[in-house]
Amino acid sequence: MIDFNGARVVYANGACALDGLDLEIAAGEMVVVVGLSGAGKSTLLRAVNGLVPLTSGDLRVAGRSVRQARGRALRLLRAEVGMIFQDFRLVRQLRVLDNVLVGRLARVAAWRSVIGAWPKHDVDLAFDALERVGLLARAYDRASQLSGGQQQRVGIARALAQQPSVILADEPVASLDPVTSKQVMDDLTRINRELGITTLVNLHDLDLATAYGERIVGLRAGKRVFDGPGAGVRAADFDRIYGRSAPSDDRQEARGER
Amino acid sequence: MSNGSSPSRGAHRPLPPRRLRQRWVSTGALAGLIALTAWAGARVGFSLRELLGNLDKLTRLLDDSFPPEWSFWPRLRAPLVETLAIALLATAAGSLVAVPLSLFAARPVAPAAWVYRTARAAMNLLRTMPDLFWAMLFASAVGFGPFAGVMALSVFTAAVVSKLLSESAEAIDPRVLEAVRASGGGWLECVRFAVWPQVAPHFASYALYSLEINVRASTVLGLVGAGGIGMVLRTQLSLFEYDRVVLIILVSFLVVLVIEQISALTRRRLV
Repeated sequence: MIDFNGARVVYANGACALDGLDLEIAAGEMVVVVGLSGAGKSTLLRAVNGLVPLTSGDLRVAGRSVRQARGRALRLLRAEVGMIFQDFRLVRQLRVLDNVLVGRLARVAAWRSVIGAWPKHDVDLAFDALERVGLLARAYDRASQLSGGQQQRVGIARALAQQPSVILADEPVASLDPVTSKQVMDDLTRINRELGITTLVNLHDLDLATAYGERIVGLRAGKRVFDGPGAGVRAADFDRIYGRSAPSDDRQEARGER
Repeated sequence: MSNGSSPSRGAHRPLPPRRLRQRWVSTGALAGLIALTAWAGARVGFSLRELLGNLDKLTRLLDDSFPPEWSFWPRLRAPLVETLAIALLATAAGSLVAVPLSLFAARPVAPAAWVYRTARAAMNLLRTMPDLFWAMLFASAVGFGPFAGVMALSVFTAAVVSKLLSESAEAIDPRVLEAVRASGGGWLECVRFAVWPQVAPHFASYALYSLEINVRASTVLGLVGAGGIGMVLRTQLSLFEYDRVVLIILVSFLVVLVIEQISALTRRRLV
């Protein structure tokens, strides 16, 4: 489904975020990507939907090359890939329903979305997505009136409304309390299982990662340094990913970082 | 050192930086400004003696002006409505033009670098010309009258609103923009769903603000022949009918004051 082949990303300031990454992710997999801040986790995710272009190498998503996608093709590729953010990134001034409808933009003619004449089919999809995250009753509230956890679920609904084959979640629980974090991670897992959507989640918390990752990919300095099932992570693996051993207070520290 | 409670004795405290050079520069600048002002006064022939010596002329002028000729009011109503109509129309037209212009002139929104630079240049060009210049230009192009006033103030409004609105659009939260883009939204959709909701209250506020300016400006523009109450003011001035002139000034003052108050109250609720 997602196939990185020697993918390199070098930013304008010279920082190398992905350093010849090879990574293959099968359809329907739930993969958790872990690593320190700056290890390239966010870049990895943003490469998948073309928000960050590859400097060299190749990346194919659902058989299509991301590097060659331009204009309309790129928009359709992005429609295939839903994205969830640490800071939710809702349009706070708009209603919850309108925020979820943003997930339909690539499929709806611009004049219709701009004047708000959404086709019934797309409105139905938006309501379905809201129902799935349990926020149907809040459809007509302003997004800014919702709590953090609710806003993140609206973010998930927006991604679901795209009817994507891939979901990218960039630190989806880093701004949430532990209880809400668990709910959101459970939601993501359920969606992955029930709808068979390939899911990539960035987490810096290794405890959460081992609990939810069927497969964990450890990144360090843009390279893959670990790849294996969540249950099988050992102290030596932690050392390889984070560059030091893992006494309990160091783990705490790694969790507290942004 | 480590017995805590007493503050450190300052052995390692950094000294405040020496400001001597700065002080010399600012003293020099102040002296220069004073000299320049004195020169300007001499250049325009400013004289306190002449000002005080002509006070009696001023009192005679005031004598002629009061009491205002209240009976002139019915002949002011139509021009006053015209002035307000000019202001309203110009605000609507100018603000509408300002929306696309300001979006192109905002870095995070502009679709390409050359669009951004072109829009910036156009905006700066519009803004450097004063409204009176536009009024004279349009008066000679389309003839004296309210239409020239509307055109001039529309351009002026577009300049003011686009400048302010582009600053608001530059300050938007770009993270929402990335989210809409990630969902597959194109430029138009990004503007509609990420940019517009953030700047719309500012836009309403700036449009109201320009209405305030336009009511005031359309009075003045009448003086150069662009219709409205200002044109009546010019006629009465040239006829030395100072009791009527005072009435016109009073009425304009009241109208501007009322519009400004309403607008300011509304704007406070917007942003």
